[in-house]
Amino acid sequence: MRDLFRFLLRQRDNLLFLLLLVLGLSMLIRGNMHQRAEWVSTSNAVTGRVFAFRSGIMAYTGLRESNIALNEALARERERSHAVIERRDTGAVRMDTIRHLRYRYRTAMVINSTTHKAKNYITLDKGTLDGVERNMGVIGTNGIVGVVREASAHFASVISVLNEDHVASAQVKNTGHFGLLRWDTRDPRTVSLTDIDKHVPVAVGDTVVTRGSEGVYPPGILVGVIGAVTEDPSTPFHLITVRLSEDLTRADHVQVVSDLMKAERDSLEMSTPKE
Amino acid sequence: MIGTLTNNLARFIILVLLQVFLLDHVDLANGWVVPYLYLLFLLMLPLDLPLWAGLILGFGTGMVMDLFSSTPGLHATACTVMMYGRALMLRALAPREGYDQQDRATITRMGLAWFVTYAGILILLHHLALFFLEVYRFNGALVTLARAFASTLATLLLCLLTQLLISRQARPR
Repeated sequence: MRDLFRFLLRQRDNLLFLLLLVLGLSMLIRGNMHQRAEWVSTSNAVTGRVFAFRSGIMAYTGLRESNIALNEALARERERSHAVIERRDTGAVRMDTIRHLRYRYRTAMVINSTTHKAKNYITLDKGTLDGVERNMGVIGTNGIVGVVREASAHFASVISVLNEDHVASAQVKNTGHFGLLRWDTRDPRTVSLTDIDKHVPVAVGDTVVTRGSEGVYPPGILVGVIGAVTEDPSTPFHLITVRLSEDLTRADHVQVVSDLMKAERDSLEMSTPKE
Repeated sequence: MIGTLTNNLARFIILVLLQVFLLDHVDLANGWVVPYLYLLFLLMLPLDLPLWAGLILGFGTGMVMDLFSSTPGLHATACTVMMYGRALMLRALAPREGYDQQDRATITRMGLAWFVTYAGILILLHHLALFFLEVYRFNGALVTLARAFASTLATLLLCLLTQLLISRQARPR
């Protein structure tokens, strides 16, 4: 017994090293497997406050650009409302604003984000108190930004489009063919569009929009334009690189989208037997 | 003793804040190069610090960084590895008569060659652990290796500059 104690005492540094190593690695593996770790997250109250303080300072440096972007968004919104009124005047479309409200948009500010890691996350200044929940889509002024991974009362942690774990379905706008968006380019300005067959005619400059099949992003939200198409004889698919329309290195004002019919849709899909 | 404590505490706070507020948002060469200056705190800990204390401080500092970057265990593991390596490194680099009472891991005290060897190898060790654990797989190993080396250069350069900046102020009057 005494020998054991003496051994433990003599080896205490090495044992401590092994203990801490195992502790760190197990946290790392658990965090990777669940893709979320509730207790260490940027939606945490402490780190959230620190990031809010930082973004409070940084927000001033981007005011000019933000105002320009807001103005543009407002202009587009006005155009759209005119279009609706004109169509309504012809009597062809009945605008039922209550029953046809499918998606709800909530505004939020990005208070922290990374773009250069293998897995990038974004922290928003709105949480469950403002109706932000898991798996809601996040959209910037110019395109998709990410998916809410975790929400606390006042903050939300978002899986950025620039994250290996972010997968969304998207389609080429003019042909309608769809594939999966994946961030394997390791470049914060581009993503890959995979699983589009080679017989599909795609060209550089074609617009890519979301398909909305997961119920995260609404359909038809801008993703970007095709920047390059390469042909690899070993696969039956095009290798397409999409230039993102939203600059994720500077996104600050974003909108969180919730699908009001998601619960109904999910329960229907769950109850439908699959082969 | 009290002076050492407050010095290290101030260094910890300043370096971590600098890392979280500024350097984590620096995006050099398309995200290939990320300087992790907070390591300077661990590098500049007292030379006679027992290994167990160093390991715990390394793990704790790593956890703080993990908290801010939502990467549970990533920095903690890399820092623990680095602090173990630090003990071996200090033993290997010790002068023949052992370290002096006043010796500290600074350029002004130990010389540029000593510090570059010491900090360079330890930063590389940390970055290799960090970048390989981050991508979590070994394909694309060459890219990861290149990223680790590039970032090591950036971190080392920043550490040297910071040390020169601090030491000029702290030179005895």
